[in-house]
Amino acid sequence: MLEVKNIKYSYNSDYQALKGVSLKVEKGEMVALLGKNGAGKSTLFLHLNGIYEPDEGQVFIDGEELKYDKKSLLKFRQKVGIVFQNPDDQIFAPTVEEDVAFGPLNLGLSMEEVQDRVEEALARVGMSGFEKKAPHHLSGGQKKRVAIAGILAMKPEIMVLDEPTAGLDPQGVTNLTKLLRELNDEGITIIISTHEVDLVPNYAKRVFVLVDGLLIAEGSPKEIFAQPDILKQANLKVPIVTELFQKLEAEGFDMENDYPLTIDEAKDKFLELIDKN
Amino acid sequence: MKFDMDYIAHHNELTETNPYFKLFLTIILLILTLALDNLYFDISIFVVMSIVILTIAKISWRSYLKFLSIPMAFVVITCLFLIFFFGKGEVIYETGIFGIVVTTDSLHYGVYTFFRVVGCLPLLGFLALTTPIAKILHCLATFKVPKIFIEIALLMYNSIFIFLNEIDTMQKAQETRLGYHSYWNSFKSLGALASTIFLRSLDKSETLQHSLDSRGYSGELPIYEPRKRE
Repeated sequence: MLEVKNIKYSYNSDYQALKGVSLKVEKGEMVALLGKNGAGKSTLFLHLNGIYEPDEGQVFIDGEELKYDKKSLLKFRQKVGIVFQNPDDQIFAPTVEEDVAFGPLNLGLSMEEVQDRVEEALARVGMSGFEKKAPHHLSGGQKKRVAIAGILAMKPEIMVLDEPTAGLDPQGVTNLTKLLRELNDEGITIIISTHEVDLVPNYAKRVFVLVDGLLIAEGSPKEIFAQPDILKQANLKVPIVTELFQKLEAEGFDMENDYPLTIDEAKDKFLELIDKN
Repeated sequence: MKFDMDYIAHHNELTETNPYFKLFLTIILLILTLALDNLYFDISIFVVMSIVILTIAKISWRSYLKFLSIPMAFVVITCLFLIFFFGKGEVIYETGIFGIVVTTDSLHYGVYTFFRVVGCLPLLGFLALTTPIAKILHCLATFKVPKIFIEIALLMYNSIFIFLNEIDTMQKAQETRLGYHSYWNSFKSLGALASTIFLRSLDKSETLQHSLDSRGYSGELPIYEPRKRE
């Protein structure tokens, strides 16, 4: 369980990036943090494992307050893994396997255990066989997978991903979404920041909306996407299928205030409408 | 064609050859070349190593020439300076400009330096073009080279590629907007490029620090030993 209580953070005296954010994510959940560019998503994420120390407020992991001394930081960073938006910022080692091994080695595990974890993590993200490759020779999607493997090898309880689908091709996005869902099924709590509204209802049970350093809404995708004013404030839109059904409603179809958010929901709704008429 | 030394190091017939062997061979031959200081030896090393690089490691001659061309340019300039501006002894040629002369001594220095470097270049090329840097660093680590040097080398090596990429992208963006259209423009564009790269490097180093910290970095990069495979 991860809880953030009234976090405030300023980069300098005239710019406050976070103006008092509180949120709570239960164990095993998969949630999305929506917000436009510059809303403070990345800043918030860097607080979740103690990279940034808030000016005010606290972070709790499993009910334990995050402390900023070396020993507790190592503990919390094992529990909460952050996958950075740009894999180039994260992958630094000259070979894939060395990069994946970096986290586990920092945890002070035995070499054998580390080797097992590296193999396991690479297999998990479908990158077995790339152990000896140089990261800068990989494609964007492959780099992202290696970056995720580097975090997985630390066996975190909570995985935080900063715009994981940015810059991936459509197939890459599908594969990544599938991987994240599988990881979630295995019990890892997942927090994703994004502004790709089409994808969010597919995986997120709960959604937070961050605007200019303040959390303005929280709820299921259904609830959030039913509030046009919230979406407008956050520079967001409803998913494209939802837009289609809103247009159909304007043509005289009765939607009973239930707009589908995903392709599957849309299909069912369509069949229902066809039956009715 | 772009010359990507790292790519070549990873994709040639000698990549998987024992790095210790390659490192030792290179060092021993380097020492020999420098110690013997014999023109015939220099030339034969050049020929032999070039043959090894081109036919055994199967590196294309274009890449090899590109590898040689940059240091060669420096060597030629250096040796010209040596010949014209250094040394004492009997004058064998007078240029007639500012009393610049070539002496027996300086000619000897120039020629020997040139061939020594010519002999050493393919040796270094042999190591650099056939061995990925990771393997070299591993060797150095087992020889108890201080960790700090290896870490700096590692992080520098990683950053070089990120920066080359970034410079490449920025340069293309400038060229698209005719940034290198005229002589004066080129100066301005290059200046802008350099200062942006500097600012960006500060930014990048901070993000890298965050991501390293985030995975429990303690100020010392641990060394991973991959499992031995049959």
